[in-house]
Amino acid sequence: MKLLRQRYGGGPGQLLATIACFAIAGAAVVGWSQRHKDFEAVLIWFAAAIVLHDLVLLPLYSLLDRVTVARLPAQAAAYVRVPALICGLVLLAVFPTVLGFGAHTAQHASGVTEHGYLARWLALTGVVFLISGLAYVISGRRSESASVAE
Amino acid sequence: MSRPRPRLPIPKIDPDRPPPGPFQPGFWRSPLRSPRLTAILGLVLLVGLPVVAITGLLSNDAYQPGLGGNALGRDTGGPLDFYLFGWPSSPSWLYAFTQGLHVTLGLALFPVVLAKLWSVIPKLFEWPPVRSPAHALERATLALLVGGALFEFVTGILNIQYWYAFKFSFTQAHYYGAWVFIGALIAHVTIKLGTLRRSLTTREDVIAAAGEHGSLISPNPARATMSRRALLTGVGGASAILFLQGVGQSVGGPLRGLAFLLPRGRTKTGPLGFQVNKTWASNGLPVSVVSDSWRLTVTGRTTVRLTREQLMAMPHCTHSLPIACVEGWSTTQHWTGVPVTELAKLVGITGPATLTSVSVEKSNYGSATLGHEQVSNGRTILAYAVNGRPLPLDHGYPARVIGPAIPGVHCTKWVSEMHFTELST
Repeated sequence: MKLLRQRYGGGPGQLLATIACFAIAGAAVVGWSQRHKDFEAVLIWFAAAIVLHDLVLLPLYSLLDRVTVARLPAQAAAYVRVPALICGLVLLAVFPTVLGFGAHTAQHASGVTEHGYLARWLALTGVVFLISGLAYVISGRRSESASVAE
Repeated sequence: MSRPRPRLPIPKIDPDRPPPGPFQPGFWRSPLRSPRLTAILGLVLLVGLPVVAITGLLSNDAYQPGLGGNALGRDTGGPLDFYLFGWPSSPSWLYAFTQGLHVTLGLALFPVVLAKLWSVIPKLFEWPPVRSPAHALERATLALLVGGALFEFVTGILNIQYWYAFKFSFTQAHYYGAWVFIGALIAHVTIKLGTLRRSLTTREDVIAAAGEHGSLISPNPARATMSRRALLTGVGGASAILFLQGVGQSVGGPLRGLAFLLPRGRTKTGPLGFQVNKTWASNGLPVSVVSDSWRLTVTGRTTVRLTREQLMAMPHCTHSLPIACVEGWSTTQHWTGVPVTELAKLVGITGPATLTSVSVEKSNYGSATLGHEQVSNGRTILAYAVNGRPLPLDHGYPARVIGPAIPGVHCTKWVSEMHFTELST
């Protein structure tokens, strides 16, 4: 056991857990590769998901955040970042609908054409920023009255 | 005398000197990152993700891929294709519930997953990249964890919005992808449970002072312009909005409007005022195939052919049953039709049997096989009317299958053949 820790650098539980993880992934690869053409696309999507998230999406939104924060007065930054975070995360989940990417197939399936998703998301964004703006005003008043009280 | 060969400069990895850029501990400056933040997000996921995973596996079970052509060409003999039980037929809202939960919770956890990944991004660039064999293996499982999570969330989220940007079979890719994710998640939880507990119970200054390997606390934090609570409010706010989207399309009725950012939250609906899964127009067939010439062929021990009038003359009943789609939306209506048990009797079958219903339309799900649990349930019917009106073409005229706890696409529409197969005892 001591040898395992020295040479391997981890305990038996860690080793078992990682081996089980690879075994299951191997079995999943067997399942995926049933359709050869699919398999290639699946692997590309799997790898692309990691690369696009870790090396593109995350640096991009971090940069956007940094640039925005630098232009804002410090006490107002949170009241822009939080609503932007909310609306950005929502958009990330529903952008295919908001931007109409699935609209044709959806129309085919349901027989109904519906527009205006972008306007709805913009309206949601407006409301969330409005609430945040109100919170900012209220917090400003509070700190003002607090400093008056002092 | 031979001159010494010029040696190629091999970059040396010095464990104490990380290369510039993101490998420098000081590169990551957010004052919000900390083991506690990661642990809080991890705890939410630790509770939520197993529910998403289990309801997903249940959905695979509900499709009963072992029966007939239900697997859509997938080989279900592999090591990850095991089915612990058949699919129950009661309560009738069972599949609407499990699948609504799967999609709704999946949507709600998406922001949490992204926040969790943000919170640990410095670890991707930790230095040295590999400390020991154990560390190398663990990092490999993390690649499977992150890839598996993103793959599952992205394919699921695209699928419920009808954007088939990917060129692979969704069911197959999402099912086996789930296993990659589940395996990696179990390994990750096993390895990190102690860290999770410690991060939640130890004061942060103690953790920072201990300077543990890869502590997420930045050594030169930027000035804080928002609190950790504000960050969690943002992530939680997005989760709440997406959660309501899922609730709206799953519960339906007066709540449907909550799903105002999803295709199935639409204010306009199909004929008779409720959602259509697949329109008649989408199959491109002439209406004549379901008009007067239409006959229903029923096979079992004998074969019977019925006109629509003969079908409607049989014993019938009305039940309140949901169309429950794998995409997480559902709608409950009052369906009138002939119990499939009556049709089974007509062809000499009284014992447990499976039923394969075949549509005039031959695409994916143009036929589906129901297990004996569904077939023997008196509420599984071949419907010819809904809400007191004849079925509209888009809802499956002249007749469609509908029954308790059956996934939507297995409620075959425009049925022309029904084949009963007795179970050998």
